[in-house]
Parts: sequence; structure tokens; C-alpha cells
Amino acid sequence: MTSRWRPTPALARAVLVSGICVVAAVVGASPAAMVIGAPFILLSCFGLLHRPDSQPAVDAELDQRWLHEGQGTTSRLLLRDGADVEHVTRAMARTPYVALHPPAGVTGGLVDELPTIEIGPRRWGRRVLGEELVCLTTPWAGYRWGPALLHGDSVRVLPQTRRFETRSETPRPVGLVGANRSPRLGAGVEFADIRPFRPGDRLRRISWRVSVRSRELHVTTSPAEEDSGVLLVVDTLADHGHSGGLDGDASSLDQSVRAAAAVAEHHIRAGDRVGLRIVGGDGGLLGYGAGTRHLRALLDLLSGVRAGELPEGIAHRIQLRVSGGSVVFVFSPMLGTAIVTATASLVQRGLPVVVVDTLPPGASPPVPDGVDPRVAGLAWRMRRLERDQVLGALGTLGCPVIAWRGAGTLDDVLRRLARRASVPRALKGWEAGAR
Amino acid sequence: MRELLRRETRGRLLLRGVILVAPVLALLAARPADLPHGWFVVGTVVLSIGFAALPESALGTLCLAVVVLWWVLAASDGVPPTAIPAALLLLAAHLSAVLLSYGPATLPVGAALLGRWMGRAAGVGVAAPLVWLVAVVVDDQPEPPGIWISGLACAVIVCIVAATAVSTGEERA
Repeated sequence: MTSRWRPTPALARAVLVSGICVVAAVVGASPAAMVIGAPFILLSCFGLLHRPDSQPAVDAELDQRWLHEGQGTTSRLLLRDGADVEHVTRAMARTPYVALHPPAGVTGGLVDELPTIEIGPRRWGRRVLGEELVCLTTPWAGYRWGPALLHGDSVRVLPQTRRFETRSETPRPVGLVGANRSPRLGAGVEFADIRPFRPGDRLRRISWRVSVRSRELHVTTSPAEEDSGVLLVVDTLADHGHSGGLDGDASSLDQSVRAAAAVAEHHIRAGDRVGLRIVGGDGGLLGYGAGTRHLRALLDLLSGVRAGELPEGIAHRIQLRVSGGSVVFVFSPMLGTAIVTATASLVQRGLPVVVVDTLPPGASPPVPDGVDPRVAGLAWRMRRLERDQVLGALGTLGCPVIAWRGAGTLDDVLRRLARRASVPRALKGWEAGAR
Repeated sequence: MRELLRRETRGRLLLRGVILVAPVLALLAARPADLPHGWFVVGTVVLSIGFAALPESALGTLCLAVVVLWWVLAASDGVPPTAIPAALLLLAAHLSAVLLSYGPATLPVGAALLGRWMGRAAGVGVAAPLVWLVAVVVDDQPEPPGIWISGLACAVIVCIVAATAVSTGEERA
């Protein structure tokens, strides 16, 4: 951004007062005017002596462009050709969901230590920081450069994930290697059973103590350890409630995104494969994967979601593309017909599905202009009653519905699903035939 | 206005207070016999209020010029020692406005900047008693012929050089 040096009003004032004093002293033969004017003459001289001839250029740079909610970074000013500069002032416009320090976004300082602005995003998403004005001043405040306009930088804010931790196993691990205890026996480390030796058993599995006592070779068995497929389905068809950032109220989309991020991080750290489907808005799909890089991609996709209806054509035939054996977590306020239908069809397929209800307790829709608030309130109450019926029906189908409350939210539900997965069940005719 | 005052830091409010009070005190620092008329004081107060509210406006120059002109009228026949505090008060008002002009109302005045300007103020403020001393010493001396004409010529040259420097700065930029 180019700007130019201009004399400051302070220099003009000093020069004018000096001139008035000198002329008045001479014309009016008044030495008192000279006494009063002497400091101003010196100020004028020093101001004019520091007339700048440089052409500064300024730019702002962020220390980090990828942050989690609640983390902070620093915006630093890059000043080139600043030989004539003594003081720097920065004023950054405020942005929703971004906390600044100093709070007003205005800071200044001598050029030896360029002023910085600390930035703390309070909500996930792509945040574009406010425009910034930068002003430079020469020594003795004689000349001023700017204010020059700098466009706001963008920051990718990933949802906070630290609050979630569960000790429950994933219900139905079907992968190759992982940390979850499989229903099948294999080469794990945990004890499962002792049985008589069969050809093919490894010698190191022989339990010599039992074999000596029973006078017959016995081996110890252990469950295999496998990874699990976890599919996260995030409903972004609408955003209900008010979002106050990390420290304030959470809207339904806030809860969905934060909960999905926390569950994803937990399962990826446990070695599971996690996939993500965004239903609504711009959509989004991320296949199953594991590892830190996959988690990064997943959080990136989550941080970019926005609320929006599905196109008319596909609203009633959502394809979640769930592979068999996956555990499905649906993060939704369960107010859209499309997501309810998709969830019910997954449950009917026999997949372990957990619905995380993300509707804030006090959420109410904005009342459009020209609509009686009482009518809107009544309609909302009816809609919530319908929702309660839907959640009850899902529960009847065997799909647990829980409200998100951070760490431990899924412990009990996952434990019950794991227990249910290990219980023998009758297969339908075509299912048995397939096996 | 209330919102503006609420956003101002204590330091900036103090500086505005200095701008408000200093020119009036400089006016009243004249000898008792030379005390200005009430309407003159009221006019200066009004200008001071404008100067304190808008430190970068021309009201500041007008306010200081009014005080200087009063001193020229009131103390044309001598060099009263009260001219020194008057000079320092006007300097304080001017420098307070300079400190306020570094940024918007929400910018606090930094300690480093304040310290630097305090040093500068002390440096340029010394000029007032020095000039007063010189004026007292040469007050009883007979005037050399043409001294006032030479002084006027010097003043005009200084003004032209200063104006040229300011305008050149604008054009060059």
C-alpha cells in the first residue's frame, strides 16, 4: 500500500505560533512574545530538520494461520525503509468472533519495538481479520505517513477438541490392526481363554502350568486387536440458537462441529479409521483414514462447514456411503427430514448408530418480519414436539440419542453398543445366506 | 460525546485537561494590571475547549495565537518574569496535543513515547528562561540603529523558509 509523507498539524501549529511570536515581538517591540515563542521556534526547527526522504512500505504478517479455537497468534508489522520513522500506530477493525489485544485493536509504539496485535479467534471457521490502518510519524512529530490501509489476513480456525476422552471400546472393530478388542480370537495380548492344544497353535502360547496340572497341552488364547471404522455425519442443514464463541453460548452447528472434532481426534489417536460426511451447506466428504495428517484434513473440512439447505433434488435421497461394520455418529439437532430418514435407514441396516443431539436447550428460531411472535412460538413448540417423537422412534429402533456434554458423553452408549454387538443374534434370511 | 469520553484512557483525559487549562492559565499569568477582560477570557476558554476536543484542528493555533497576542498587547513595555510560566504552559498545551495526535481516541499514550517527549519538552522549555534572561540583560541597553528592521527581516526570512519547507514536504511526497 503506497502513501506519502505529510506535515503534521502539530508542525504547522508550531511554525505558525513561532511566526506570530517573532513578528509580534519585532513589530510590537515585545520581548515577552519572544520568550513565549522561543520553545515553539525550537520545536519547528527540529520538526523541519527531520523532514523525511524515505519511502516506507508496511505489511502485516501473522505468526500462525492455522489455529484451534481459544488459541492465539500475533500480527506483526513488517516495515521496510523506515529510516525516518520514530513512531508507529496500528488500528485494526474488529471482527466477529475474534478477540484482539489490545481490545480496541489500536496500538502504537516506537519503531525500535514495532507494535504487535494479539489475535484470538473464539469460533471455528474461516475468519478474515478486519482491515488495518497504519500510520508512521517522524521524530519531533513533524511529518506523518499514512494512514495506509492493509487488508485483513485470513485465519483457519479449527474446532476445539481437547474436552473429549472416553475409555469405552468401539463396538464393532473389523479392521486389520488396531487398539480395539475384537470379538474374534487372534494374536492379541489380553487374556481370553485356555483351551486344549490344537495343531497350528504357536508353542509360545502353551500354558505350561495348566498343561502340567492337567497332563495335557493347553494354550492361552487372546482376542485379536483391530482398528475400527468410524463415520461421523455432521448435519449442517441449519444453525439453531446463538453462537457466542468459545466462552459464550453454543449454537447447534457449534456443538456439532466441536463434538465431531473431539470424537474424530479421540478415535484417530486410538488408531481407528475415521470418515466424515457433511450433510447440508456446501456438503463435504472425507473417506476413511487414520493418522495425524488425516485428522488435520478432517478438522479442516469441519472448520469450513456452513449452514444451508440441500438442493431440492437430493434432499430425500442422501447417500451416506457407510461401509459394513462401521460405527456411525450422527451430530444433528434432528430437525431436518432428510437427516432423520438417513439415520433411520442406517439403524434398520443393523449398523451401530449413535445420534448426538446438538440442539441447544433454549434455541428458538428468529421470527421473520410480519409474523406474529406468538404464532412463531407456537409453531416452534409443535416442531419440537415432532422432534421429540422422532427421537423416541429412533430410540425404539435401537439407536441411542444423547446430548453432547463433553468428556464421557459416549462412554455408556459405546459400552452398551459393544455389549450388544457381542450378543448372538438371529440373522435375517438373506443375511444368513450371504454368510 | 459520552461514548468518546468513556473510551478515552485516563492518560489521554489528563492530556485533554492540560490543553483545556493551560492556555487560560497562560492568559491569566499576565501581571494583575494587565489581566484580560472577561470576554477575552471567555473566548480563550471556548477556544481551549475546541482545542482539547480537536487537538489536530486549527482551533489550537488560534487559541495559542490569541494568548500570544494578548501578551504582546499587555507586556509591550517590559519583560515580566510571568512570561516564562506562560511560555511553559503554552508549550505544555501544544505538546499534549502532539501526544494526542499519535492515534485515535482508544490509543493509550505509551510510557516510552511520553518519556521521550518529556525530555524534549524539558530541552525546548529551557529556551524560554534563557531568552527571558537575555531580554532582561539587554533591556536597559540603547537600541542599535536598525535593530527592529533587521529583526523584522530575519522574521520574514524565517517564516518564508519554514513555509517553503512545509510546502516542499507536501510536494515531494
